[in-house]
Amino acid sequence: MTSTDRAGIAAVARRAAELLPDADVITDRARLRTYECDGLTHYRVTPALVVVPETATQLAAIVAACAEHGVPFVARGSGTGLSGGALPHADGVLVVTSRMRAIREVRREDQRAVVEPGVINLDVTRAATPLGYYYAPDPSSQQVCSIGGNLAENSGGAHCLKYGFTANHVLAADLVTPDGDLVTLGGAAPDSPGYDLLGAVIGSEGTLGIATSVTLRLTRLPEEVRTVLVGFESTDQAGAATSAIIAAGVLPAAIEMMDALAIEAAEAAVQCNYPAGAGAVLVIELDGAADEVAQEYDEVERLCRDHGAFEQRLATDPADRALIWKGRKSAFAAVGRISPDYIVQDGVIPRTALPEVLHAIAELSSSSGVRVANVFHAGDGNLHPLVLFDDAVEGAGAAAEEVSGAILDLCIQHGGSITGEHGVGVDKSAYMPRMYSEEDLDTMQLVRCAFDPHGISNPGKVFPTPRLCGEVPGRHKGPHPLQEAGLAEVF
Amino acid sequence: MTSTDVADAARRAVAETCEVRDPEPLDGVDGVVPGLVARPTSTQGVAAVLRAAAAHRLTVVPRGRGTKLSWGRPPTSADVLLDLGGLDRLLDHAAGDLIVAVEAGMSLADLQQQVADAGQRLCVDETVPGASVGGTLAANTSGPRRLVAGTVRDLLIGITVVRADGVVAKAGGRVVKNVAGYDLGKLMVGSFGTLAVVTEATFRLHPVPAARRWVTAPVEDARHAQRLAQEVIHSQSVPAAVEIDWPPAAGGVLTVLLEGRAAGVEARAATVRGLLGDFATESDEPPAGWSGYPWGSSGDPAERPTALKLTFVLSGLAAVLTAARELVGDVPITLSGSVGAGVVQAAIPAGTPVEAVASAVARLRETCSRHGGSAVVLDGSAAVKQAVDLWGPLPALDLMRRVKDQFDPDHRLSPGRFVGGI
Amino acid sequence: MDGHTDTPAYDGHLGETGSIVDLGLPAPGGAFDEHHPPDAALIGDCVHCGFCLPTCPTYVLWGEEMDSPRGRIYLMKEGLEGEPLSDAMVSHWDACLGCMSCVTACPSGVQYDTLIEQTRAQVERRHHRSAADRALRGLIFSIFPHPRRLRLLRGPLRGLQRTGLDRALRRTGLLERLSPQLAAMESLAPRLGRPMPLPEHIRASGERRAVVGMLTGCVQGAFFPGVNAATARVLQAEGCDVFVPPGQGCCGALSVHNGREAEAQRYARRIVDTFEAAGVERLVVNAAGCGSTMKDYARLLADDPAYADRARTLAEKVRDVAEVLDELGPVAVRHPLEVSVAYHDACHLAHAQGVRAQPRRLLAGIPGLELREIAEPELCCGSAGIYNILNPEPARELGDRKAANIVATGAELLVTANPGCLMQVASAIARSGRPMGMAHTVEVLDASIRGVPADSLREGTRPSA
Repeated sequence: MTSTDRAGIAAVARRAAELLPDADVITDRARLRTYECDGLTHYRVTPALVVVPETATQLAAIVAACAEHGVPFVARGSGTGLSGGALPHADGVLVVTSRMRAIREVRREDQRAVVEPGVINLDVTRAATPLGYYYAPDPSSQQVCSIGGNLAENSGGAHCLKYGFTANHVLAADLVTPDGDLVTLGGAAPDSPGYDLLGAVIGSEGTLGIATSVTLRLTRLPEEVRTVLVGFESTDQAGAATSAIIAAGVLPAAIEMMDALAIEAAEAAVQCNYPAGAGAVLVIELDGAADEVAQEYDEVERLCRDHGAFEQRLATDPADRALIWKGRKSAFAAVGRISPDYIVQDGVIPRTALPEVLHAIAELSSSSGVRVANVFHAGDGNLHPLVLFDDAVEGAGAAAEEVSGAILDLCIQHGGSITGEHGVGVDKSAYMPRMYSEEDLDTMQLVRCAFDPHGISNPGKVFPTPRLCGEVPGRHKGPHPLQEAGLAEVF
Repeated sequence: MTSTDVADAARRAVAETCEVRDPEPLDGVDGVVPGLVARPTSTQGVAAVLRAAAAHRLTVVPRGRGTKLSWGRPPTSADVLLDLGGLDRLLDHAAGDLIVAVEAGMSLADLQQQVADAGQRLCVDETVPGASVGGTLAANTSGPRRLVAGTVRDLLIGITVVRADGVVAKAGGRVVKNVAGYDLGKLMVGSFGTLAVVTEATFRLHPVPAARRWVTAPVEDARHAQRLAQEVIHSQSVPAAVEIDWPPAAGGVLTVLLEGRAAGVEARAATVRGLLGDFATESDEPPAGWSGYPWGSSGDPAERPTALKLTFVLSGLAAVLTAARELVGDVPITLSGSVGAGVVQAAIPAGTPVEAVASAVARLRETCSRHGGSAVVLDGSAAVKQAVDLWGPLPALDLMRRVKDQFDPDHRLSPGRFVGGI
Repeated sequence: MDGHTDTPAYDGHLGETGSIVDLGLPAPGGAFDEHHPPDAALIGDCVHCGFCLPTCPTYVLWGEEMDSPRGRIYLMKEGLEGEPLSDAMVSHWDACLGCMSCVTACPSGVQYDTLIEQTRAQVERRHHRSAADRALRGLIFSIFPHPRRLRLLRGPLRGLQRTGLDRALRRTGLLERLSPQLAAMESLAPRLGRPMPLPEHIRASGERRAVVGMLTGCVQGAFFPGVNAATARVLQAEGCDVFVPPGQGCCGALSVHNGREAEAQRYARRIVDTFEAAGVERLVVNAAGCGSTMKDYARLLADDPAYADRARTLAEKVRDVAEVLDELGPVAVRHPLEVSVAYHDACHLAHAQGVRAQPRRLLAGIPGLELREIAEPELCCGSAGIYNILNPEPARELGDRKAANIVATGAELLVTANPGCLMQVASAIARSGRPMGMAHTVEVLDASIRGVPADSLREGTRPSA
């Protein structure tokens, strides 16, 4: 840290101390270190300062102080991200929203909820359920991940096959811009006039500012939900069944697939009682009006049978359904039970490429000797290969990285994406140029430059190369240190 | 009507890239006659035009099928009218993956026809007859089914644009789920061609439902309309659309669209009929004017009706309907639109005195904003556009300007057409 | 516009990479010595997913990473890696209630219970606490694990003067901290009556189905002798020969939970000796905190060659009373009890022992009884052994939150299976101004088997706020 950095941090810390109780301004090294990684522990950086504001005004004032002193800041919600999006900056401030967790409003008549960014995803649903509503996006970490984090990552979940992502369910957000201004984007009603800046901010991984209040669309709880667990001998069969279901015009709320290794892990973790000896299971959930769900279920059952299902188990009550989902939603962390270390990938492929890509992954796995467990949202082609390794074995980490990278290349080759819901963060920024051209990335940077000309909001994430923004009227103060050091270029 | 001259050298530069012609009367952009009309036939062709335009500092107004070109403010300059009608190819329809990629100049109707053979549809209504895909994106028009599928914003999964400097850029891709990089597609939706020229778009498709049924019932007054709308949206009938027609005179009509499997639709239609009361009727055909806007097409700019888009939270419906009807003494306002989503269109007939239009807009804007929404004047006569603020207050205007400055620093794309003079 | 460089350049701020913790001995100068430091391999099991966060009472209260299980484990890792033991570090481990809600929530099977116990033992040995803190802890441990001294605390504290602890108590503020709990306990007293010692051997009614030993415990024995009596009666009615060996003493749970390892081991040896001699098939425990500790005796005494095997054997016999009754199945006739019951999961029963279904099944088996679930069931009531004495503020906040959730069920009777919870919740419910009856699971079963009217439960336990 240079002396300029230190002075900047000290100034921000002083400002924070004026605004917040002592306990919420963290400077002690041992405490700071507990914030050094999010859900992806592979990357760790101890932040220079952690602040835990309770109000939007406090948060904005802290960001304004960062802007004034050129101090980078990183936002963090529950710290569950899987791409290192909330990885702190060594010379920067980590702004934690976990104490901003009020559900301000839940309005049935408007089908809306207004929440603070630290509110936990599942708590929105808990608050809406008594009114017959819920919050549809349900990332597997929904019991802990925050709405602010969901907004930053445009989180999906098992049910986004039918209901869409965070971007389809956020109507408005108050955003603290990297200048420290508090501005409202969107509105309680749809289609706010002007550019859809909210659409750009959702999924921007904290690089365009920090949300301090979020207006969410609530969804009517379905009249009927049927969850069926289907056992197949192979992922091929399960994949074919998935395609057949979609081709038949059925749009399930979710179609999830797990292969044998992932089943083993989930079984060890939560005793979810999945069919014994299955090479793959599908968790299929149908929801909607009761009559139609019953009809669709008959059709799904027939299609699964036609494609080789050897066991179909319909959840008989909510507890049963919860257990089926528990197996699926715990799968990532459960892999910790069968392997000391693992990498979670998040590639996406067109659904029809599923069998081909799964074969290629199996090939990669057997040729490299690296085990890969597969858990994925089969309905929308979002793969979560879990690449297993033991870091205590020399070279194992590198071999896993290689397999993991090769899987992403497979996704790109099939016209897919390097990330379906976990975000690019720090982890996959190096892969961005494989998916997008130089021009594509430059164009995205235009948005960044509009919001954050000095590049202080979550720098080093999403984009492979730190870049500086060109002409910014009245804001230029000589060459940026990164530019001087030859580490960045002006464009 | 203003007209524009383009220097010979600049014209030649553009002509080297594609077919170029002189403007005809129908090429006017809300009263502004362009200097020339360029008609490229590919993304690369568009890029070449924009590079030439950049080199000669020409302003460019993109046009799809020209069905909404008068919307917004007239451009402050239009050296080149960029006609995208030549970009009308289907690029890819992957039926198994339920996606389609098309060029932006293709008409929405053509797209629907192309995917219909596979039993699929893009869940977007053709609200303006003949509209192109690109124009639908640029204006973010939506119809009844936005209740169930959202607007083009929610269905767009990949986009190719050409920037003002001629650089071609893509965002998104061919898969529904993708969070790699910024979602430039959303930024382009509703931007009226002021940030970049959309040349290609990829959408998520849905299967065409086996059955559909419309249930229609009269409503007595605004409160009755709100009560029925609330009952339907909170019911388990899973409506695909909940629409209102609200004529100036009296009463109104609420229409609920149900889509799905035959037996299910029948059962849900019966439920909805029960909710809507004794006068509710069912039909397998849409009611007249379904998915259209409540204003007619505008031939003569001076005779153009005022077209508005009103948005509000659902509990504000009665207030908005009441405001519209209370204005009727001075201004005969017709409303129609999605009361399930909180987005309706309003039409004020041509020939209404400008002051009356202005005060009606003010009243509607005040009501909508009290209920979390806005009132935007989409189109109107030149006099109306001069007299009223088309968009109303914009809390994030400064950020919007900064985005515009980054994408189009010389303000050569559709200059002046959009919010805050952007 | 300039071109890109081909290789992604880093700005040097992305830090170290690699697995979360290296196995091996604690780094010198760090927080821990080599005598059972928090196990690096167990720490390595944590994948940092954060699923524990919303279940952790202190994270729910304060929203700070280091006051969550994930953060506390991270602090342990730091300590192993060489970060010195500091007041800051210790304060976050101290703040843990040990409710083990995180253990239930953890998909990776991290043994946080073991880790925090190992850590606390190191802290007690190696960390220098303030004089006031030491005095308070010393006093607590000179009273609580001693059934006789605890009994003296009953009544209007007269007995305290005789123990000579009175002045010291006032100086540390222990009295003030204890008083709400004591008041709550005293308010329960009318029904409790005088402690009646149980006979050493109680014969099964009817056919003998099992031979069991019974732990009488310290707090349970002193403040809730009725629970012990009910336990004995229900076991007897269900066909158990019950042995209640005298001089069994404390099980060591409070000591284990507060890092007083050697003291805990002494208690544990005595229990092992006592119940080995009794020759029972099952050792029945009706206090959740005691049960969870006794099931873990094998680890507590693992280093003692004379006791390691014997401790394992005994630990395998330990069962919560609800487990035993559920295993045996009912033979005694249940008489109807027309009462609505909110069942509160004691953390050391639900999280530490995984006993959730059994007490519910037992209660649901009583005709006429209506069982209601409490919102936020995973969240601790704030009692947590002696936590509410050491950390009165968060304990009170949690107690009030729990009381609100309980009152919201509208049930007439609160049932739980731990004396600490009962005391904590009783005082919180008294504060809420919505008094309700309270009972241990076996008291309800006892009432049903004996055909005592439900009113005795509803009224007899109503605390006089």
